[in-house]
Amino acid sequence: MSTMDYSELFPKIQAKFKFTAGENIVSIYEVVLLEGWVKTSRILSLIENCGSYGFFVFNVFRGSAGISDILIDYAFPVNNEFKIDVVSEDADISVTVTFRKVKLLFEMMTSEKTKSFISELHKISEISAEKENSLDFAWLSKYVNEATYGRSAEDNSQNSEVNGQLEDLPTGSELMVPRHSIARGTTPIAGRESAVRYQMTLKEKDYTYTQSIRIFVGTWNVNGQPPTVSLSDWLSVDPDPPDIYAIGFQELDLSKEAFLFNDSPREEEWLGAVILSLHPKGKYSKVSLVRLVGMMLIVFVREQHVAYIRNVATDTVGTGIMGKLGNKGGVAVRFDIHNTSLCFVNAHLAAHVEEYERRNQDYRDICSRISFPKFLPPKTIKDHDQVYWFGDLNYRITELDAPTVKRLIETNSYDAILVYDQLKQNFKAERVFEKYKEGRILFKPTYKYDTGSDEWDSSEKNRAPAWCDRVLWKGDKIKQICYRSHAELKISDHKPVSALFDSEIRVIDAIKYRKIHEEVMKKLDRLENEFLPQVMVDTTEIIFDKVHFLEAQSKDLIIANTGQVPVQFEFIKKLDDSSYCKDWLHIEPYMGFIMPGEKCDVKLEIYVDKRSACELNSSEDNKLYDILVLHLEGGKDIFITVTGTYVYSCFGMSLDLLSRINVPIREITKAELRNLEKNNDYRQSDPYAIPKEIWFLVDHLYRNGMKQHHLFEQPGLHAEVLLIRDWLDLGVPEHLRILCHC
Amino acid sequence: MSAPPYSYSYIFKYIIIGDMGVGKSCLLHQFTEKKFMSDCPHTIGVEFGTRIIDVCGQKIKLQIWDTAGQERFRAVTRSYYRGAAGALMVYDTTRRTTYNHLSSWLTDTRNLTNPSTVIFLIGNKSDLKDQRDVAYEEAKQFADENGLMFVEASAKTGDNVEEAFVETAKKIFQCIQDGRLDLNATESGVQHKPSQPGRQTLTDQSPKPSCSC
Ligand SMILES: Nc1nc2c(ncn2[C@@H]2O[C@H](COP(=O)(O)OP(=O)(O)OP(=O)(O)O)[C@@H](O)[C@H]2O)c(=O)[nH]1
Ligand SMILES: [Mg+2]
Repeated sequence: MSTMDYSELFPKIQAKFKFTAGENIVSIYEVVLLEGWVKTSRILSLIENCGSYGFFVFNVFRGSAGISDILIDYAFPVNNEFKIDVVSEDADISVTVTFRKVKLLFEMMTSEKTKSFISELHKISEISAEKENSLDFAWLSKYVNEATYGRSAEDNSQNSEVNGQLEDLPTGSELMVPRHSIARGTTPIAGRESAVRYQMTLKEKDYTYTQSIRIFVGTWNVNGQPPTVSLSDWLSVDPDPPDIYAIGFQELDLSKEAFLFNDSPREEEWLGAVILSLHPKGKYSKVSLVRLVGMMLIVFVREQHVAYIRNVATDTVGTGIMGKLGNKGGVAVRFDIHNTSLCFVNAHLAAHVEEYERRNQDYRDICSRISFPKFLPPKTIKDHDQVYWFGDLNYRITELDAPTVKRLIETNSYDAILVYDQLKQNFKAERVFEKYKEGRILFKPTYKYDTGSDEWDSSEKNRAPAWCDRVLWKGDKIKQICYRSHAELKISDHKPVSALFDSEIRVIDAIKYRKIHEEVMKKLDRLENEFLPQVMVDTTEIIFDKVHFLEAQSKDLIIANTGQVPVQFEFIKKLDDSSYCKDWLHIEPYMGFIMPGEKCDVKLEIYVDKRSACELNSSEDNKLYDILVLHLEGGKDIFITVTGTYVYSCFGMSLDLLSRINVPIREITKAELRNLEKNNDYRQSDPYAIPKEIWFLVDHLYRNGMKQHHLFEQPGLHAEVLLIRDWLDLGVPEHLRILCHC
Repeated sequence: MSAPPYSYSYIFKYIIIGDMGVGKSCLLHQFTEKKFMSDCPHTIGVEFGTRIIDVCGQKIKLQIWDTAGQERFRAVTRSYYRGAAGALMVYDTTRRTTYNHLSSWLTDTRNLTNPSTVIFLIGNKSDLKDQRDVAYEEAKQFADENGLMFVEASAKTGDNVEEAFVETAKKIFQCIQDGRLDLNATESGVQHKPSQPGRQTLTDQSPKPSCSC
């Protein structure tokens, strides 16, 4: 693809669409649009007006003198119905842009420019989604009306309610392949790889099934203590072993070394303790371990799942001192299991009773700053099918004094206390953990105990006990089985908490996957074969019956383009031949161009003259025979057989042979001629001095032609030549009354 | 942006040869479309089919030329052998004559292709068991003696069709890796970078002096 001269484009777009003051072209980028299997070039542009953005797809037409026209294919408002996703990033980056029912697939070259364009789009679409209600897209409507497809897409969505079949349109997108642009030869068939990938994502439901896996999530603020006890009372209290363990620690190490150098011997110690206490009925492999100062997250998976875990990545974010250091913050592990993406976040949010706003902010910072750069654009926490968020979130109980809280705990009246739980309150006010869920709390507050006991903190602060340690989740098809604390573990001032989930993940059915993959490939192959040039000819056998010397005959051959693409045909040479047909044949036109649905008449003219007669006379039989190769550029070849019977004539015979024949040439058989040629003369042992045909001609001229003006100066009349030919070949001179023009 | 329009790394040219009616076109159709054509007209010319397959993790595009089997076209179809990386030589297991002609097809193939061309013998119509006219062992022996790969297949049921095409490609690929097949040779029948099929003439070399009358 030619690199776009944006500086040329900018003013042209501006001029054509008369973007008014206030409407700014923010960015502009050339991409490849994939429709079905077809690639075409498009220009994407973001245009801004008073904080609201429009996403434009321009189709730029180019003539010899540069840009000839620009049309708007689509104009989408960038709002919460607008979505951009990166589907793959191999050699090229594939991006889908979704607006309502329209889904477009673009391919972009991997480059810094692309990355920045995509992340800009991302950012804007996120910001726009947030302030949805305040945005005014009225300015866009005039462009939407101009858009070639934008409107019809909306019409479609209405139709589809009436006509269910239309629902299938997106998946059947190969139906909409713009064959014409292929036909023009301007678009190559789309990159197979990305086309296949795209088709496979569309069909995901058809080859995946769901499977439930059990996930154990645990969190414990260990208050800098070493693991001196078994963790079994926390990690393996259930009868069945979980499939995945995600275990988060906070305050693993409170030493200065850990804080300053992020280096801690505790990591190994706790990891060892955890491994010893995993469920004895399961065999586990460590997926990942990530630690930032005192926050550590370890993920294990049962061995049978190891093969299905891919794209493991981790990240850490410090939100502590100066908003950056690792005394507070979050650590995360993400991976795909089968076809589902999971993200586990272990966080330690800001401390102190009154600092809940700070905690909310820490949450937001972790959300925006955790990123997995192995993906492009980097995936963040929200880009996962399932997110499990846990840790010492540090939310406290306010508005209730410690004695009241403790009294209510005695009677297990947790709900009464939770009304004053800061997390519940902020959550309700949608200030934190939007779209997350938390299970019902049926366990005692987990903080703060006197270390080594189950007694509430007896220090003079006398704070109200609180549920600092929590587990939340986000995503569909996640069922929490239990949510509990583990009082048996007393080495810290916090109690560990755990939750069990039965989560549905999508598993690829290998057989179905292969079948669907094969179908997709087959469809692609078929399409490729369909786009081969196809023609029909009315006949492959052109038969001329009697062909006479110097007498032209012609037949038509009709070539009809029955395929999808224009056909360029040409009669081509066969191996070792110097011409595409014999001397006696003439093809008009011998090459040409036929549009789909149209046809071309090719005239085949047969004409034996003195050049070809000689060879024909000496051939085995009287057959005129040629096989023509009708070649379709980029496609198949068709053989056209041309046959005819040559009525042989004295013309083109050797004088020697003629002088040995004493009867008109047509009176002897081809076999006899053969023999004569081989010098087996049996009719006449004594040849004429000159062939009788020459004698006849000279004699005739002598008798009738001497008075003819300009004798030999004018060519003979064609009809007369034919008569003379027959007279010589058949021997009927008496009846000839002809003028002597030869 | 200069993304490669096709994502395969090799193109192999195949020819399918053999007597008329042995099922060459049906084999091609079965391979590209997974369908059987019960009344397939005689091929008058050379049909063209393409499919991408996966061999040893490599995407390979097969460009397959299905030739007319009728004797009268024999001289013309010879033009198409040149530059084939694979030749599928087909006979009909229910018609002995088609088997008897194999040596002449083989001679043509050996004369007109290069030494590294992989020749795969297919005994087609294996579904017609009670009409068998050529024993498997006999054909197998013929194949072994001549160093050909061999299967009995059915374009009707699809049996062994995929295998024949894919095994041929594997063998060619092997030859490339062993260095037995020189990719730079113009007539290897293998291209390393994708391109469209299309020629101006069948003779892509300078024309030999032809007789004049
Ligand atoms: N039962 C059976 N019939 C087959 C099979 N393959 C081909 N046929 C039939 O055999 C006939 C000839 O098949 P074609 O594929 O046209 O043969 P071809 O070799 O291409 O013939 P030409 O184009 O004339 O060279 C058709 O009627 C097919 O239906 C097969 O595997 N089993
Ligand atoms: Mg055929």
